[in-house]
Amino acid sequence: MEPTFRASMNWLHTWAGVVLGGLLFAIFWMGTLAVFDREIDRWMMPMTRLEMPAGAPISIDSLRPSHEVAAAARSPNWGIIFPTEREPTLRMSWREGSSLVQRFIEPATGAVLPDPGTWAGTRFLYPFHYMLHIRVQDVGIWLVGLAAMAMMALCVSGVIIHRKIFTDFFTFRVARKPRRLILDLHNMTGVLGLPFHFLISLSGLVIFFSLYFPSSWQVAYNGDRQAFFDDAYGTHRPQKAGEPGGMASFDAMAAEARGLWDGATLRYFFVRNPGDARSIVQIGRLDQGIVSSTYDAAYFDGPTGKLISYRSGTPPVMSIQRFISGLHLIQFRHWALRWVYFGLGLVGCVMIATGYLFWLESRRKKHAQLGLGGARIVEGLTIGSVTGIVIATLSFFAVNRSLPLGATFLGEDRAALEIWTFYLVWLATFAHAWLRPGRAWIEQCWAVVAFAVAAVVLNWITTGDHLARSLAHRHLWAIAGMDLLLLVAAAMAALTALKLRRRQATRAAVPAPLAEKQHA
Amino acid sequence: MRDGVLLLAVLAACYLGFAMLALSQDRHWYHLDWRRHCPLRAILPLRMAGYGLLFAALVLALVRDGPGFGALLWATMISIGALAVVCTLTWWPSWLRPLVRLFQHLD
Repeated sequence: MEPTFRASMNWLHTWAGVVLGGLLFAIFWMGTLAVFDREIDRWMMPMTRLEMPAGAPISIDSLRPSHEVAAAARSPNWGIIFPTEREPTLRMSWREGSSLVQRFIEPATGAVLPDPGTWAGTRFLYPFHYMLHIRVQDVGIWLVGLAAMAMMALCVSGVIIHRKIFTDFFTFRVARKPRRLILDLHNMTGVLGLPFHFLISLSGLVIFFSLYFPSSWQVAYNGDRQAFFDDAYGTHRPQKAGEPGGMASFDAMAAEARGLWDGATLRYFFVRNPGDARSIVQIGRLDQGIVSSTYDAAYFDGPTGKLISYRSGTPPVMSIQRFISGLHLIQFRHWALRWVYFGLGLVGCVMIATGYLFWLESRRKKHAQLGLGGARIVEGLTIGSVTGIVIATLSFFAVNRSLPLGATFLGEDRAALEIWTFYLVWLATFAHAWLRPGRAWIEQCWAVVAFAVAAVVLNWITTGDHLARSLAHRHLWAIAGMDLLLLVAAAMAALTALKLRRRQATRAAVPAPLAEKQHA
Repeated sequence: MRDGVLLLAVLAACYLGFAMLALSQDRHWYHLDWRRHCPLRAILPLRMAGYGLLFAALVLALVRDGPGFGALLWATMISIGALAVVCTLTWWPSWLRPLVRLFQHLD
């Protein structure tokens, strides 16, 4: 325990930051990218770069053959997700054994598109930010929950230890020495981004409240999780008859559901226990016009097509939770807010990175004098966590545009190869950071430039959608946006590398004792 | 069109509001006026106008998007506005000179 409250908060802020900063940066980075997950999907799956069909959607009954396949495979469910502005394909999925089968369908014609062979944004980048792809015992989700709690503690303790929060509110002394500059940048991004950072961490925890705070429902429902879900989310528990049964018209049920919600657009159409005599059809409503993440659904008895029950509107007890979840999940249609979220997410990344840099700048000299290795270890950790994950993500994009469809290597399919690339490149950046401490920052900045430019060029070569073309066609704006942001990232990384090299050169040119003084 | 104009208005109100709050601080006033202190008579009007504009931004956001999206837009746009003011003060402080002139005569 430190002598004063502020000193203890300082201790907490420093060490929670150093220990969890790498994890926090990864979560913030991936979460920021997840803001545009469906746009990334379209970039990584060129066959889905379609125009939204203007006419009537295709008949759901025309997709029946695949429903029969799912029924024959004894899949627990078969479902389709209807196209939206951000995802102009119809996505169909079912399970075969332990693997998930996904098919992308062109909504205008019903033609099945070739398998994209990638997990892209929605299946790799987006889940990474809340579960790190560690499924065992939900360890990933719990680690992210710990990081979110730490983030809130860091926000609060950061405000407490800030010496001049109001005087320095708008202060960024860019001409000062690195240590002052970094601290200004950390304080400024931390204080000005505080509402967003705090809210986004808190709402992340609130989404998973039934997992993180199980006592909240265990007490009220005597530990019966399913009963709680039935009440809170209105889920309808399907029961299997165990004998085969028919299936009524899909289109008739969809039309009835639409009528229940005054002609609303539908989000999904799921069949639970396809082929079973007691199969249930669940149809969800699309509501992009409100912040809350809604879950209005209608349930039909599969064989007869009779309505069992439906929900319209969120029950009052869940409304706050759904609002807070909704503001995190941004499934609504609001482009201004989407870009603001993206920008503030990047501001959060800057804050975490500069926190690390400040720790390093204030200890580097002392550690060198005392012969401690701590600063070097943390510097490697910082480089791998910051530029490393950026490079790994960019390599994920670049390899996606270089592997041909259906590629396999060592028995791994295309999607797995992309993910292996991501992890191996990330690992390599840590190794590089520890092996070449003096040069790692500059070299990794150049790696960012190389991968980002390569991704844009490879996209052009493999799809023909260069910037002039993608900017000219409205349905390719997602591609144009991705290419432009990649080029901006490359430009910023190049500027950083040049600036760092110039600084290194001037430091080398000044006689050693003078350089020491300048640095102090 | 209406949405675009209102969005710009929200952003402008956040930006100007924070710019005035920044100018009411000696450090930033000094930057532009080369006087060590922000004139005492200018501080109160600057701050009132600053907070007033931030409140106006909230009203505009609510008018544009209703209570749900409006509150969210305001809560995030104030960060964007404040960050934009910091960038201005750091790299292009002279942009704020007209504002300084507006309040200089109060001294």
